[in-house]
Amino acid sequence: MTERDLPGMSFNEALDQKLAQAKWSRREFLGRVAAFGAAAALTQLLIACGQGGASPTAVPATTGPSPQGTTTAEATATPAPTPVPTPEKELFVYNWDAYIGEDTVAKFQDKYGIKVTYDNFVDESSQIGKIQSDGKGGGYDIHYPASTWVQSFITDGLIQKIDHSLIPNLKNLNAAWQSPDYDPGNAYSVPNFWWTTGYAWDPRDISGNLTSWAELWDPSRKNKMSMLDDLRECFAAGAFRLGLSPNTTDLAELDKILQLLEQQKPLLRFYTATDQITDMVNEVVEMAHCWSGDWVQMTYDKPRLKYVIPSEGSIRGNDVMVISSGAPHPIAAHLWIDFNLDGDVSAASTNYIGYMGPNDAALPKIDDYIKNDPRLNPPKEVLAELIELAYLKPDDLAHYTDRWNALQA
Amino acid sequence: MTAAATPADVESARGASRESAGTRSAAAATSVLVLPGVAWLGVFFLVPLAIMAVVSVGAVDSAGHITLANPSLRNYSHALDPEFIPALLRSIYYAAATTLLSLAIGYPVAYWISRYGGRHKVALLILVMLPFWTSYLIRTYAWVMILRDNGVLNSVLLDSGVIDEPIPILNTDVSVILGMTYGFLPYAILPLFVSIDRLDYSMVQAARDLYASGRGAFIHVTLPLTMPGLVAAGLLTFIPALGDFVTPSVLGGAQTTTIAKLVQTIFTAGRDWPYGSALGFLLMGVTIVGTLVALRSLRREVMGASA
Repeated sequence: MTERDLPGMSFNEALDQKLAQAKWSRREFLGRVAAFGAAAALTQLLIACGQGGASPTAVPATTGPSPQGTTTAEATATPAPTPVPTPEKELFVYNWDAYIGEDTVAKFQDKYGIKVTYDNFVDESSQIGKIQSDGKGGGYDIHYPASTWVQSFITDGLIQKIDHSLIPNLKNLNAAWQSPDYDPGNAYSVPNFWWTTGYAWDPRDISGNLTSWAELWDPSRKNKMSMLDDLRECFAAGAFRLGLSPNTTDLAELDKILQLLEQQKPLLRFYTATDQITDMVNEVVEMAHCWSGDWVQMTYDKPRLKYVIPSEGSIRGNDVMVISSGAPHPIAAHLWIDFNLDGDVSAASTNYIGYMGPNDAALPKIDDYIKNDPRLNPPKEVLAELIELAYLKPDDLAHYTDRWNALQA
Repeated sequence: MTAAATPADVESARGASRESAGTRSAAAATSVLVLPGVAWLGVFFLVPLAIMAVVSVGAVDSAGHITLANPSLRNYSHALDPEFIPALLRSIYYAAATTLLSLAIGYPVAYWISRYGGRHKVALLILVMLPFWTSYLIRTYAWVMILRDNGVLNSVLLDSGVIDEPIPILNTDVSVILGMTYGFLPYAILPLFVSIDRLDYSMVQAARDLYASGRGAFIHVTLPLTMPGLVAAGLLTFIPALGDFVTPSVLGGAQTTTIAKLVQTIFTAGRDWPYGSALGFLLMGVTIVGTLVALRSLRREVMGASA
């Protein structure tokens, strides 16, 4: 794995790395590639590649732990020291596009002799849609939802309890992550990577050290700012400015936030969840509401760009590894989680994609440029101020959606 | 619906019964030919539509699942909320502007290909359809590169000294209408071409022989006779343009939200399929009524011309 800013990289290497590190490119892979100026043909090729691979929904019928399968698994021998149940020979994983170490899948296959079918999705709606399609995980063993989905997945019976005895590497998790609010005791999920929300700006156009959300309401930057096309994130930004909770369900508070967002809208060039990176790089806007990973990618093309986690407080998010209730290969799935919690494996992923996880064993092996950047690895005091977006009940979410639509219309 | 059933249906029913008397066996034989089409539309259009109709009277329960426990028209009354009106009007404005521009640009092109294309007609038509060889999304992103502040267009204007400051074109009404017109132009040109190409040019010559000016012959002969093509081209442009959300989301900005984008938000971020379906049906209703009005005015137009 080459260092990210080695000057001697070939175009292909550079492109590969960009895509690999593009956590949010998974959101709109197409747009990103096109905007990077890659030829249309390349885009189509990449789409074709992305769509390759076995269809997981078709497979569970043909596989399953048949007696024959288990004997062969024993023969090929997994080097399990403790009396671990024999793992199945296959595993179906569903994750964001380009959101894992370069050779994590290959190394897992080599170590356990388990064939991994690794499928990608580019946005959350397609992910959730597929997982919910059959009420038990769409044929996948492992998938990676945002932590905010965990409670509803438990209620719906979409995911199964995790057998902690099969995952000794859980001890690698930082103490603060041993029992997160969204899933006490990590009973159904294991934290993967995390990020923050803030905004990026171009110091060429804007001097000074910005810290407040209010900067995104500055009328002197009319038509030079963008907000995320994400109703929860926008309402959170407004809530922080007003000193309210980003998870409020109080209608009067929501109306106040809406008022604030309505003041901001005429100043904005656009709302986008896909183009914030390219438009900062191409100087279409000089300030953009974005996720920490977006900023990391912006700096690959424009190192001068800055990012801040606003002082009024902001959003912290993380995703988790879960095992589907209908997982055809539950033992292999536990091995997968354990493998990804290994310090070396987790650090290799972080160094490749630029996102940190709550893995203490990985910390010494994470590249300094990630580890030492307070914007990517915030100190405890800052972290304590960050709030996670909570799952909203349909009725509450509808109040957000209605106001968001009124704002957009 | 009753209004729509009056003259048109009666007329077509009368026509059908007259025809079936003579050519019943032929009709039976040819009806086999439409079976694949009917089956295709039935499975992939009507069934999903029926599912949507059922979902639209449902609700989302506390676990986020669609429930039909208490079917009601609540979603429809919710969808009539005036908050959508600005976005709806904007969508209609974009679609209308796109249609007018497409017809204004497309008619001369189709006319020229038909009248002066000669033996190159097929090649010229292929050129019109050439953009379809590449994904629409990619072509729209190409417009981003052309229109953005430091893009091709602004660079050319700056370098040639026409402007001193880049003019913001991207993320405005202009970029949305421009992008949609670009995208829908081929859909306008093709039906226009068919209708112009079918025009018997001796009619125009007859008009000229009877001392009609060039403009007079065009207005009183060519235009009325190609009106069906104009209406078809207009509908083929207007209806998809009204529902287009790719172009406004790629080329548009914070001030250009269309109704299609709001429907999409309700389905995805809002996770409220029943509400989204109801809004979708209302939009479909608006479109159908608009189409019927357009078709009826066409019939009047054509009958007026032939009378």
